[in-house]
Amino acid sequence: MPTPPLEARQTYIAHVDVNSFYVSCERAFDPTLEGRPVIVLSNNDGCAVARSAEAKALGIEMGAPWFKLAVDADRINLVAKSSNYELYGEMSGRVMKLLGRFSAWVEVYSIDEAFLGVTGTVDELQALGEQIKAEVFRLTGLPVCVGIAKTKTLAKMANKTAKHIKELGGVCVWDRAPRTTTENLLARLPTVEIWGIGPRLTKRLRGLGIWTAKDLRDADEVRIRDKFSIVQMRTVLELRGIPCIPMEEERVIKDQLIFSRSFSDPITDRVGMEQVMGIYAQQASARLHKHQKQAKILSAWAMTSYYNQHQDHQPAITVKLPGPSADPVVLTKAAKQLLPQILVGVKYARAGVVVMDLQPTAMQETFEPFVAAHEAKQIGPLIAQIRSEHGVKAIGLGAAGLAQGPAWQMRREMMSPRYTTHWKELLRVNAA
Amino acid sequence: MKIDRIQVCALASPPQRVIAVALDRVPAGYPSPAQDYSDTKIDLSEMLIRDQVSTFIVRVSGESMQGAGISDGDELIVDRSVKPRDGHVVIAVIDGEMTVKRLSTGPDGVVLKAENPDYPDLRVAELSDFRVWGVATTCLHHL
Repeated sequence: MPTPPLEARQTYIAHVDVNSFYVSCERAFDPTLEGRPVIVLSNNDGCAVARSAEAKALGIEMGAPWFKLAVDADRINLVAKSSNYELYGEMSGRVMKLLGRFSAWVEVYSIDEAFLGVTGTVDELQALGEQIKAEVFRLTGLPVCVGIAKTKTLAKMANKTAKHIKELGGVCVWDRAPRTTTENLLARLPTVEIWGIGPRLTKRLRGLGIWTAKDLRDADEVRIRDKFSIVQMRTVLELRGIPCIPMEEERVIKDQLIFSRSFSDPITDRVGMEQVMGIYAQQASARLHKHQKQAKILSAWAMTSYYNQHQDHQPAITVKLPGPSADPVVLTKAAKQLLPQILVGVKYARAGVVVMDLQPTAMQETFEPFVAAHEAKQIGPLIAQIRSEHGVKAIGLGAAGLAQGPAWQMRREMMSPRYTTHWKELLRVNAA
Repeated sequence: MKIDRIQVCALASPPQRVIAVALDRVPAGYPSPAQDYSDTKIDLSEMLIRDQVSTFIVRVSGESMQGAGISDGDELIVDRSVKPRDGHVVIAVIDGEMTVKRLSTGPDGVVLKAENPDYPDLRVAELSDFRVWGVATTCLHHL
């Protein structure tokens, strides 16, 4: 094959994501799930967070509560699985590692999607997209779709197109499609489907007479910037094929971290709540250390169930920390200031800890008087190290350090084995 | 859904490797002669796993592959990247079930053979649904 002229080979962005990722992970190890409606449930088996195409076709909505679906599950042949985060995380790692073989320029965007910098003619890119799709399936058993375009925003859109139009076979190179086709797609795509345009922005855009992706692309970008912000102006330009959103190596940690869960059994006393606060504060500490950040503010809250009309109670506190800190002892102390507000006997169904106003860990030493006596001893990193060597339950501070699993830990009754991370839970193959 | 949380954990825990570090105190002028011979420890996965992305470990239930040295309770190392060929021990999906068999692609078509006279061979033509999930490359047999 003759080498194409240089000007025809251009830099593009490929967006790769796994179809119904959680469900696909389950199916990769359990062929009986193929062709059946399957959903994966949120923490504590609360509601559907992932649905197979068959489940979507049955009209099961994202977020549908399991207690409602369970009644009919057998009749409609629906399978529900508890979230198996160990499995999904490990499989995600495999996919991302594999994608790194196709491009040195990979941005892991979420657990199941990534952007890749790629170069070639549109035909070469089509072949590359097909190769990526085939290799990810062959090596990991997970089905992906690939969208390739000049910008991230269009690559995402191309991917969506690849998912919805069966004839494309899961790969869509935006610039390879006939112009009339892409124009048609843009004219039919509501703005809410565009990457970065949420429902609220959609409403405001409608006020300006902008309903579709085509409307937005053809809008005056300066007017959009003035009405909204530079972020939306970038989207307009990206829709025109002008790259404005750069590839990021690792996504920047946001300005706050939230640790929150529903309890499988409600907490009704301060001892239980103290344990919860201790665990969340230490998780927050571990994550801050990992990202080399310190927080200035911590807030903690608890709440009764939405369905519990008799005992509506939602205590909350916000604490300004004595200085920027990621120290587990400092954070635990702060979180425990919620305890006096906890009413004994009230059934709390959920609680959380949020650390805010994050800043990079100071290179300079904090002024002595503000360093707590234990803080200089690097307790946080030490705990993290012990946990990484001996398991997360090996050590902890205070009530959170109890070896025995507390009663409120996550409910995962329908969880598949953790096939790839636990020797005792390996996939069973029949020799019979 | 706490998506970025899991993502971060998954990517931040690459397989642990043993790294040799100089731990001995080294008095100036007299280095320990043993240090010149320090080496990394033997890493089993180096020998057993060619590609971390495509390799899975499964556990065998049953006796039908005993002739191949595969016993009940053994672990198989399965590499999905290997193209299945005649003679390979494969994990096959048959009617929704994961089964380990010897793949035979002879003149009379594809046959999934057991390695134990008590178990019958399976002719693929008779099977409603069949595909190879992966090729077993090593058996971890417990003595």
